Amino acid sequence: MNPSDSAPRSTSWQPASLKEAGLLLLFCLAATAGSWALRPDGLSLRADPTVYQLELAAPLVSLDEALALFEEGDHLFIDTRSEDVAATGIIAGAFFIRESSFDDDLYELFDIMLPEDGLVLYGDGNLSAVSNLATLLLERGYTNLLILESGIAAWQAAGGDVSPGGAP
Amino acid sequence: MISALVLLCRLVVGGVFVYASLNKLAEPAAFAEAIHHYRLVPYALLHPSAHLLPVVELVAGVSLILGWFRRGGALLCAVMLVIFIAAITSALVRGLDISCGCFNTDAGHGVGLDLLWRDALLLLLCLPPLLVGRPGWSLDRFRRN
Repeated sequence: MNPSDSAPRSTSWQPASLKEAGLLLLFCLAATAGSWALRPDGLSLRADPTVYQLELAAPLVSLDEALALFEEGDHLFIDTRSEDVAATGIIAGAFFIRESSFDDDLYELFDIMLPEDGLVLYGDGNLSAVSNLATLLLERGYTNLLILESGIAAWQAAGGDVSPGGAP
Repeated sequence: MISALVLLCRLVVGGVFVYASLNKLAEPAAFAEAIHHYRLVPYALLHPSAHLLPVVELVAGVSLILGWFRRGGALLCAVMLVIFIAAITSALVRGLDISCGCFNTDAGHGVGLDLLWRDALLLLLCLPPLLVGRPGWSLDRFRRN
């Protein structure tokens, strides 16, 4: 028997495969939710950053601790977000260093930021992205690094000073 | 001839995905850590990804093997492979020395160019079941379009 005979045939692969993939994905979501509900001792839905912080390139600092450091004025705050996102507002006095323009940004801060300076790195709450930048800074000899546990939104909500985006 | 080729591709890709899902389903915490090693996924999505991805791998793999929603399964596998290739490339570019987390969450294969070639080959094998309209030797023959 030829398997191509007497069988449904679809000439356009896109609608059929998209529809089928959507149905399979819905089934997967339901199955995932079901299996998670049936395993109450399993992995929680929300990851605790402190569990993973040993994996980060620098220690985490809480929002309250960061606010205290900001008041003391001993640490420099580094905004690691992309230019368009940072345009909405930055921690007052923060400097920009981005992974995509790391060398240029570091060169601009050559006279301002010394390797022994304390740096608090922050992003939009994605600690992995901030940690990537911390790794690059460590390679350049900046060892006094902290990563802000929360993003700029939490900082602003807690009453931290924010200035308009762009050049600090 | 074409039906045999499609069947072979389905069995290979489906088998790989089913096998890859088993350890991840058994060890979701270890798999979450493996995902975290790539430093690409935000914490809010880390555990949901560790729950969902192995299920998608299993379902897409079984779908391909049985030929039930064959094209959907092939598309899901292809999309996952594109994501895997992007993640591995990103890790290689950043010089991360990490386990890929592909089949074994404990001490798997380290990321490297060989993984890129393997995933690219699997991606290529997804194309026949995705593009060939005839259901061939699959359960899709018994479905109404």
